[in-house]
Amino acid sequence: MLDANPPQNRTGGLLEFKDVGKTYGQTVALTQFSHRFSPGKVHALMGKNGSGKSTLVKILAGVILPSEGTIRVNGADAIFHTPHDAFGAGVVTVHQELSLIPSLSIGENIFLGRLPMTRRFGLTMVDWPKLHRDATALLHEMGLDLSSHQLVSTLSVGQQQVVEIAKAMSFNPSVLLLDEPTSALATREVHLLFTLVRRLRERGVTILYITHRMNELFEIADTCTVLRDGLFAGSVEMTQATPASIVEMMFGETAKAKRPARKVIDRSGAPVLQVEGLTRHGLFADVSFKVHRGEILGIAGLLGAGRTEVMRAIFGADRVDAGSITVNGKTLTAATPKQMKEAGLGYTPENRKEAGLVQILSTHDNLCLASLGHIAPSGVVTRAREQAYVGRQISDLAIKVPEPMLPVSALSGGNQQKVVIGNWLNTQPKVMFFDEPSRGVDVQAKRQIFDIIWDQAERGLAAIFVSTELEEVLEVADRILVMRQGRVVAEVDPTATTLAELYRLCMEGPTA
Amino acid sequence: MSVSMATKTGPNPVVRLIKTYPMELILIVLVVLLILTAPGFASMRNLLNVLRAGAMLGIIAFGMTAVIIAGEIDLSVGAGAALAGTIVAWFSGALADYVGGTMAALIGFVAAVLVGFVVGFSVGKFRQWFNVPSFICTLALFTALRGFANLITGGFPLTTFPPGFDFFGGGYLLGIPFPVYIFALTFAGMHFLMNFTSFGRAVYAVGGNMEAARLSGIDIWWVKSMTLGLTGIMTAISGTLIASQIGSGTGTTATGLELDVIAAVIIGGTSLFGGKGRIWGTLIGVLFLGCISNGMTLLNVSEYWQYVVRGGIILGAVLLNQVLERVR
Repeated sequence: MLDANPPQNRTGGLLEFKDVGKTYGQTVALTQFSHRFSPGKVHALMGKNGSGKSTLVKILAGVILPSEGTIRVNGADAIFHTPHDAFGAGVVTVHQELSLIPSLSIGENIFLGRLPMTRRFGLTMVDWPKLHRDATALLHEMGLDLSSHQLVSTLSVGQQQVVEIAKAMSFNPSVLLLDEPTSALATREVHLLFTLVRRLRERGVTILYITHRMNELFEIADTCTVLRDGLFAGSVEMTQATPASIVEMMFGETAKAKRPARKVIDRSGAPVLQVEGLTRHGLFADVSFKVHRGEILGIAGLLGAGRTEVMRAIFGADRVDAGSITVNGKTLTAATPKQMKEAGLGYTPENRKEAGLVQILSTHDNLCLASLGHIAPSGVVTRAREQAYVGRQISDLAIKVPEPMLPVSALSGGNQQKVVIGNWLNTQPKVMFFDEPSRGVDVQAKRQIFDIIWDQAERGLAAIFVSTELEEVLEVADRILVMRQGRVVAEVDPTATTLAELYRLCMEGPTA
Repeated sequence: MSVSMATKTGPNPVVRLIKTYPMELILIVLVVLLILTAPGFASMRNLLNVLRAGAMLGIIAFGMTAVIIAGEIDLSVGAGAALAGTIVAWFSGALADYVGGTMAALIGFVAAVLVGFVVGFSVGKFRQWFNVPSFICTLALFTALRGFANLITGGFPLTTFPPGFDFFGGGYLLGIPFPVYIFALTFAGMHFLMNFTSFGRAVYAVGGNMEAARLSGIDIWWVKSMTLGLTGIMTAISGTLIASQIGSGTGTTATGLELDVIAAVIIGGTSLFGGKGRIWGTLIGVLFLGCISNGMTLLNVSEYWQYVVRGGIILGAVLLNQVLERVR
């Protein structure tokens, strides 16, 4: 049970870190982080994936304990064993994933787990009038025109984000952490959020604002602190910062990516896949590109730029509002994944647990999922017939599997990813979409997966490669499309660009 | 699934046997106990009756196994069986004067099978188009189909079958009840379908992870609808056999059959979460339920206690599967 009446008027939190570090076994996530976040300001926290940013957030949210160092809130030592400890010290985190319950009202969501109670007729019961009164007061105080009675399911994502912040504010925090609050928001909703953040700052709340979006920094933040590879890379006042100086802090001296010698791609013939003006309202618009035989096309962009959505739409997994898709000279409209598979497309999804594999089935079965039509044209399959396909992928892709008949869930992330890829290679595709193939796999498996992609491209496969890690896109692709806010904003040659430049394109687009 | 279980190695052959074939062993123990204690259980006549009763249920249970593995459910099979019986009886009466009794019954049977398939298949399509869960859709059919059956009969049993029709439900062929042959054929057919065809593999994939199956280019709605349609066909076959056995088509027969069918599937180790289960297991479940009912009747256990025991068995079988899942 949480405290229903937190201390009042506790604003202006001073947050100090001294030599804070976190190690997981051999892995160092954060090293000797020392910094002082001055009260009543909006402090942006930047850093690419793996920089230690999320570790810092988890420590402050009470999800994990630091391995070393001290944190002080308003001068008092703070050790957060649980999220409850963090609330008690006045540090409240709004996580990236929304945690509201759609079927309940705004008011009930705000006070969930600490509903006000009253005694009537000798029974202890929920004091609904008080709950909605308090929630309404809170919403008004924050300048929000929402009814406490309204169901969360009727709200837009932006409004839900705002309710999430209202819920955080009901704990009356002195420090508020916002973890990528705009990643799922449309532009208009971002403004709503910024208005709220400014209002909270006026009230003296210290805000830690984690973001990937460069342009937001200059609009909302007072200072920017950058982490790189688990180390403190620097901190600047926004009045003295430029996008270039922040990118430099984020990446430091970047080495050029190393790639194998790739043969020259023959782009004179007809493309294997041609996409024209593909649009899905609200997600992406006017996406056009071509891919040729043997070519690896990278798509770069930040989270929410529309990369996955475009690929899923081309593959027929999601609806398309406008545009055309031509595979091998044949234009397909409103095709299903089944028809796209027959046309020669393959798609390895970004989340292999939920969408790539049937976890309770064996490795053997998972390697045959997409290719049953090839294996058994008559519809009759036997283990022996499947075995040829299973065995080939296990040896070609060097899948480490002690027993193919056991559930695929027992395999490591890297090996599961290879099973996803092997499942599709069994269909002998002409075009393959690799959506985040390196997510959650170890370094060695990542190298092997890249080798598989290069090798398949050598043999004529047209590959489309997507990764949140821009280094990987630079390394793997022959040509890169940059997507931003649902549109293709640039096309770059990976051999003639730098990581910092690519990052800048993803964040700001080509004109800024 | 059967292959993965058989290849699992354990420390001790006996332990391994118990872990791999728990329900089979329990069934053997039950049969031995009944032979020793229940008077008349081991007689050939009694055993054949157990099989005949099991057949009516089992024919549908094999289809239901596929439906549940695909992640759906069908609550309408009892009502569907009653409806099928009345359809055959109605055609037998209405067309007998034009095409002869035998032909009329055959036309009625074909009509019942078609209705069974179309209704089952539509349940899948309803799920696809209107996002109505099969639980709801078949709950509605559970009531509605029985209503249609009673509308056809006007509330009275129709005894319009041609002479000799009672053979299918009640007769013997080479000393074995005729329904047992259909039972065996259905078992063989479904076992083949689920283990040796791409359709069967797709059923497991769809039930195990709908999104992964869809993204692998499997037509998930067709697969789900077909399992429901197949079950509709088997329900019609079983309903015809029941009508033949009791000698009439009536809207009040086969009440509660759907729950026995689902119980047999669950006792056989099929997961209601989908993706997991075996036709073989369902066969064991059907035989287990049949033996226990028959045995308790022979031992003069009160009917009320029989209900309690069967309830306990369903729960016990599920618990056993959960526990085994953990120790495997």
